[in-house]
Amino acid sequence: MSADDESFHPLGQEWEDDLEAMLDDTEYDTDLGMQMAEDAMRVTKGELSEAEFHEQYHEDMMEEFGQDDRPTEQALEEMEANASNALEAFEGDEDMDRREMMKKMGAGAAFLGLGAAATFGDDEPSVDAAAQEDDDDNDGTQWGMVIDLEQCDGCLSCVQACAEENQLDAGVNWMYVLDYEDPEEDLNSGRQRLVRPCQHCSDAPCEKVCPTTARHTRESDGLVLTDYEVCIGCRYCQVACPYGVNYFQWDEPDVAAEAIDNDHVYDERGRPVDSRAPRGVMSKCTMCPSHQDGKQGEEMIGTTACETACPPDAIQFGDMNDSESAPQQYLDNVALTRAKSELAGNNFAPEEGLDYDELEEDDLDDAEEDLLEAVRILDGEDEPAEDDDDDGMTETEAERIVQGEEGSHASTFKLLEDVGTNPNVVYVGNEPGPNAEQTEGPVDYEQMDYERADNGEDQVLADVRKDVTDEGTVDLDYISERMPI
Amino acid sequence: MSTKTPNEDDILRPIRNTSKNYYILFGAALLAFAAFLVGWAYQLQQGLVVTNLSDWGSGGGVTWGLYIGAFIWWVGIAHGGIILSAAVRLLGMDRYMPVARLAEMLTLAGLSAAGFYIIVHMGRPDRMVTSIIGHYHITVHNSPLVWDVTVITAYFVLTATYLALTIRYDVTRLRDQLPDHFDPIYNVLTLGYSESEDKIIERMVWWLALAIIIMAPLLLHGGVIPWLFAVLPGMPAWFSAVQGPQFLTIALTSAISGVILISAAFRYAYDWDHIITDDVFRGLLLWLGFFSLLFLWLQLQQNVVGMFAAPLDTAVAQEATLFHPIYLLSMGMVFGTLVYIFAQTIRPSLFTRTRAMAAGVTVLLATLMEKILFVVEGFLHPTFEIYAATPGVYFPSLIEWLSLVGTVGMVVLFFLVLAKVIPVVELHAIEHLREDHGHEPVDESASKQEVEA
Ligand code: SF4
Ligand code: SF4
Repeated sequence: MSADDESFHPLGQEWEDDLEAMLDDTEYDTDLGMQMAEDAMRVTKGELSEAEFHEQYHEDMMEEFGQDDRPTEQALEEMEANASNALEAFEGDEDMDRREMMKKMGAGAAFLGLGAAATFGDDEPSVDAAAQEDDDDNDGTQWGMVIDLEQCDGCLSCVQACAEENQLDAGVNWMYVLDYEDPEEDLNSGRQRLVRPCQHCSDAPCEKVCPTTARHTRESDGLVLTDYEVCIGCRYCQVACPYGVNYFQWDEPDVAAEAIDNDHVYDERGRPVDSRAPRGVMSKCTMCPSHQDGKQGEEMIGTTACETACPPDAIQFGDMNDSESAPQQYLDNVALTRAKSELAGNNFAPEEGLDYDELEEDDLDDAEEDLLEAVRILDGEDEPAEDDDDDGMTETEAERIVQGEEGSHASTFKLLEDVGTNPNVVYVGNEPGPNAEQTEGPVDYEQMDYERADNGEDQVLADVRKDVTDEGTVDLDYISERMPI
Repeated sequence: MSTKTPNEDDILRPIRNTSKNYYILFGAALLAFAAFLVGWAYQLQQGLVVTNLSDWGSGGGVTWGLYIGAFIWWVGIAHGGIILSAAVRLLGMDRYMPVARLAEMLTLAGLSAAGFYIIVHMGRPDRMVTSIIGHYHITVHNSPLVWDVTVITAYFVLTATYLALTIRYDVTRLRDQLPDHFDPIYNVLTLGYSESEDKIIERMVWWLALAIIIMAPLLLHGGVIPWLFAVLPGMPAWFSAVQGPQFLTIALTSAISGVILISAAFRYAYDWDHIITDDVFRGLLLWLGFFSLLFLWLQLQQNVVGMFAAPLDTAVAQEATLFHPIYLLSMGMVFGTLVYIFAQTIRPSLFTRTRAMAAGVTVLLATLMEKILFVVEGFLHPTFEIYAATPGVYFPSLIEWLSLVGTVGMVVLFFLVLAKVIPVVELHAIEHLREDHGHEPVDESASKQEVEA
């Protein structure tokens, strides 16, 4: 929580506005309240003594409330303690919580609460302030993704990498990439492409409806997984998921269990949740627990197969609760990150930043040189020129170059956000409209394949799973094919 | 009214006599059931790939299809049956007493068929017990499927208790005339019976009936079964508060139709025209008409709300349903039945028992089609309909069709076997009819010849 410059209060302008609104709602004098609050802050900063503060407002207090029994130091201390406790209630940093808390405190207490809360000055962070600061970490890790749809080339590398990593059957596209078009011409802009893994929702309906707890959220990192040994294959999770990301194992999986390493099936808790599902149970994108659990080596933690495979770095996997993580860093300045990623080539890690020394040695063309210079300025590596007349780039110029190259427009969205699933995938780019319909992409699924772990043969991917499962459907054709006559 | 006075021999006839037709029917039902068991065995061996189901989404399939549609259909018949029988007991609708036990038996048979469908539908039926019971304390809080299993089990137990309680009375009194080889069963059924319990049992049955009537709309077919679908926000074809009442009307129409058919079959087979009189059929038809009207009324609600100015995804789903040939056919069939039923109340000469049976078959087929379509439509028009493969096509595979034949066979077998062991018409009903006979004029001349096989 940063203190706003305009606000007298360390909790910022918003907090101040809330208080003002709160006081407005009461019969008491708002101006007086705000004035007192401001001076209370000065007390905590040592600019005003407590005695002075008391003297200044004693008369007003008597007039307003008919009593004023504030001033003992002990009382103030008590009050501070109470208010601090109350403050813990709004760790979530939500307006609602604040408002509710203030209502509970009552208007009179709000007058004073302001002063008490003012002890969270910048200079001396209290325990509570510290708690507030690492607010995010209190929620623990929540793996998730930022996917930049404007960067995606539709090459299906991620789909292929996922299929290989998990040895999936044809058509079981845990990761799916689709191009779309909206019948309404005006709505067609940008690349019109969607990259669709499981959204690992924080309020996952698939988990809610599961009659067995096979579909569950892993406590340690928020991954939504399926326990292959508990699932009864009722398929209710697939029915309840609004995104259509689940794939049931309708028959024996192509790649036999023996060919798959146990480390790639059992996660750190010893539950079988990873790799292609055995027959009769449900599967979907797992966000690579074998990576996150360190079973593939330390360096793989915080990565997924699809992220690593993506040539233009459209996928950023990481802890959505950590402001320093790759996805959050990416969101911080999309254009700048896109530019850095372009300069760095494949597998740029936004959280680590650019290795400028290495870049200097590379052969860059003029445009790239300019981009690099602009990035250095925006990244704080180089000082910008003061004004246009000076040598070098100004900050404005740098911004113009980066945005000209990478686009200034970085709208973000979550898929079907109003359904209330709380997805953990954030998209950069345009959201497909409700009428959008999939069209053919640049690369066919059938053109992609991977090497099977059991026999080394090529497994060709398929777009539509039903085309594959139809082969096993017992209909007249099926019978006539198998009849000796 | 028939001139014949119903007596105990009448209701014992199914137990004592076995006609050639009985054997034929038994054989046919067994064959139907066995055929499906073979199909199921193949499914267990190959996996659910033998169905025409597949993944919705990029897969372009429907993940629930005929199995689940038929599951709701059977549950509907079962629930309607017990509601019917409970209403008869609770409201003292004596006219229907001769068919009350048939309705209860239909409930047990229907629930068995539905339970069987749950198992058939699963990818790993072998884990049902460990996975569901083992986590019951957690999942019961939010999984509608767990609610379903709970309530279906509870209703099975409730209905079986209900049936067992009323059977004690009959079996004790008819004991001497019942075949000796079933003695162990009768001994268990009448364990600790004394005449003084009759009054208590009567009250218990009344309370059970009350509980069933109250729970039916709140929990059962107006509750947990529709909630399987109605609570899912991503599926606009289902997401609607009208599903509860809708399901209940479908359950009642299906159940009444089922009772009409089974009663007609028993009447035909055992010359029970003086027990299950035309009056009973006329009355059942009227109820069928009434619930068909409610059924169509709720469909109308759904269509008007879904088409007028609905949110985009709802409108798309509703339009697709409304203009689907199966939907139109199904609604047309119910509507046609309704027209016939109202016509025959105005002009009684239009009534025949065959037509009543035809009405029953028509409604049962219509509700079955509606149920399967209802399930499938959800996957064809989800909110997230961006996938090129969606809406896909689904036509049940041979094994799926066979499951319908098999479960019908299973239910027929259930009746054939049970009718051999216990009286399917209550002694109470006979006693009651005899009382009526005492002071009612004999107005029907033609009494059928008793043809004993
Ligand atoms: S997208 Fe959300 S609801 Fe769907 S499977 Fe993943 S976690 Fe479950
Ligand atoms: S298919 Fe498996 S994971 Fe999905 S809801 Fe059923 S039991 Fe749970």
